[in-house]
Amino acid sequence: MVPVARRNLFAEKGRFAISICGVAFAVLLVLVVLALYRGFSRTGETFELLPGSLWIAQTGTTDPFHSESLVQAADIESARDVAGVAAVVPVLVRQMAFSVEDHDLSARLMALDVPAGLPVDDKIRARYLPQRGVLVIDRILADKEGLREGDVARLGAVQLRIGKVQPRSAEAFEPFAFLSYEDARRVFGLEDIVNFGMVMLLPGADETAVAAALEARLPGTQVFTRLEFATAIRKEIDESFLPIIGILVAIGFTVGAAVVGLTIYTATIERSREFGVMKAVGASAVFLYRIVASQSAMLTSAGFLLGLVAALVVARLAREAVPDFATEFRSLDIAGVLVGTVVMAFAASLIPVRRINAIDPALVFRA
Amino acid sequence: MSEAIVRVRDLVKHFGAGESLVRAVDGVSIDVEAGELVLIMGPSGSGKTTLLTMVGGLLRPTSGSIEIRGREITRMSPGELTEVRRHLVGFIFQSFNLWESLSVIENVELALNVAGVTGDEAKSRARRLLEERGLGPRVRFRCRDLSGGEKQRLSIARALANDPLLLLADEPTANLDSRHGREVMRLLRDIAKSGERAAIVVSHDQRIREVADRVLWLEDGRFTDMGKLVRDPVCGMSLEESAAATLRHGERIYYFCSQGCLREFQESPASYVAPSPVG
Repeated sequence: MVPVARRNLFAEKGRFAISICGVAFAVLLVLVVLALYRGFSRTGETFELLPGSLWIAQTGTTDPFHSESLVQAADIESARDVAGVAAVVPVLVRQMAFSVEDHDLSARLMALDVPAGLPVDDKIRARYLPQRGVLVIDRILADKEGLREGDVARLGAVQLRIGKVQPRSAEAFEPFAFLSYEDARRVFGLEDIVNFGMVMLLPGADETAVAAALEARLPGTQVFTRLEFATAIRKEIDESFLPIIGILVAIGFTVGAAVVGLTIYTATIERSREFGVMKAVGASAVFLYRIVASQSAMLTSAGFLLGLVAALVVARLAREAVPDFATEFRSLDIAGVLVGTVVMAFAASLIPVRRINAIDPALVFRA
Repeated sequence: MSEAIVRVRDLVKHFGAGESLVRAVDGVSIDVEAGELVLIMGPSGSGKTTLLTMVGGLLRPTSGSIEIRGREITRMSPGELTEVRRHLVGFIFQSFNLWESLSVIENVELALNVAGVTGDEAKSRARRLLEERGLGPRVRFRCRDLSGGEKQRLSIARALANDPLLLLADEPTANLDSRHGREVMRLLRDIAKSGERAAIVVSHDQRIREVADRVLWLEDGRFTDMGKLVRDPVCGMSLEESAAATLRHGERIYYFCSQGCLREFQESPASYVAPSPVG
């Protein structure tokens, strides 16, 4: 078959290039915004990655970011006797200012008192359970403050060496730093109080039943599941960020569809006579629609590819300039945007098709 | 003569209604046999192109019938008419109407694609059609790089892509100089005489009379007897001597289609005085 669509598009190279850029811009906007949303949505992931299935907190605690929880260490001890509980790990968390070299900074310091014999995955141990005298931070905090492994952090009278910078950041809004439980007690000055108890269950234990039993056993506490804790943290993001994301995504697709639609429409109008000739010589509506749809598909696929590359580059550059610009590109999102782009191409070809249907083939006899 | 390729009976096409009613074609009947080249002449606005458009299945008549090889087309659905145009009719236009973004060979190949021929067969048939019209060395050219005569030869090759029974040509020599005009005329004659097809040509160009089997005069939407034809020196239109405005200039009488052309001539006769008589 003669590649009419390609020939038509390449006949106006300048407009074709501008149109591709328009679609690419729309794809870039949508992908970056989605990636940003995914990046920020990982807030609370720390509590999903840690091995605890349940979290004991003080009654009235909404989540670990926006409220303080104080629980008696003895209560945490007694929780170990509840049926279905394998272990209860005391957890200390506190937002705290500290300094590294000349930098004053702030992070949420977290420490878990995991018993020595408890089986914990090596990755979890490396990330969340540092040795004494070591502070583990994440990439956002390191990039933002210019911190490197080996730097010394001063937390009051205590000095800790930055032992590991985690390449993947979970908490974009609230940078976390992990230290050993012993160091945390020295830094925080707490003896009989902990902030949370992280509960690990025996295999086959019923999460809901254990949570109810813990609350009954420990007055003044409430028990969150891992998911409830993470969801409570993300609630703020989902409620404030998601509608904005939705609007930006809609704007992106509208811009893209408008660019493709206008380009194909003007290309169709300019070639009305040529389409009229095709109709005159017997081209069916399907034959003509295929040409328009092919033009639209070529334009959008080229725009999509360019937009995808541009989004990856822009996200990288933005992250270098602003460390808080936490993005995560998920293949499902990219596939979704691709599907959206196909829909956009289809939608954008509908108006030109109507125009083609309206072309009178008899016009070819008018000089 | 063999059986009729086209049979038109009492064809009428009216535009508008009431006082603004225009009878573009008003009761035309004609048979065109295989191997025949029919030339339809007439003044501007006489209904020639409207007639051609209806015979080609591009315009529905107000009444009357058109049969192409026995198939009545006036009551066909748009889809059926598309099918008729795809397989039975080839069009040649005054302004070529080529697909400018395509190469020479692609113009013919696309017409073949429309007719359902694709791939290598379409390519080889397109090449053969172009070589037969002397465009072999130009197959990769862009249309815009062709001369007027080459464009019209390409247009003819495209019109023949679907191997049509009926070739309809609207002023095929109007945009060509005399040499290329003659080339096109010869091509049309050869095409009409070869194979089972007929050609209807609408034109003001009296040179085509040399190759036409029949010449019909259409005026006010009706075929009329053709008197002596003369040519308006200002606009070049052919017209019947009896219907023309006349002016004696020097020792000659000049004929005009309208008072406008006559006035233009009077303003600058030297621009229009032909070296030899016409008509």
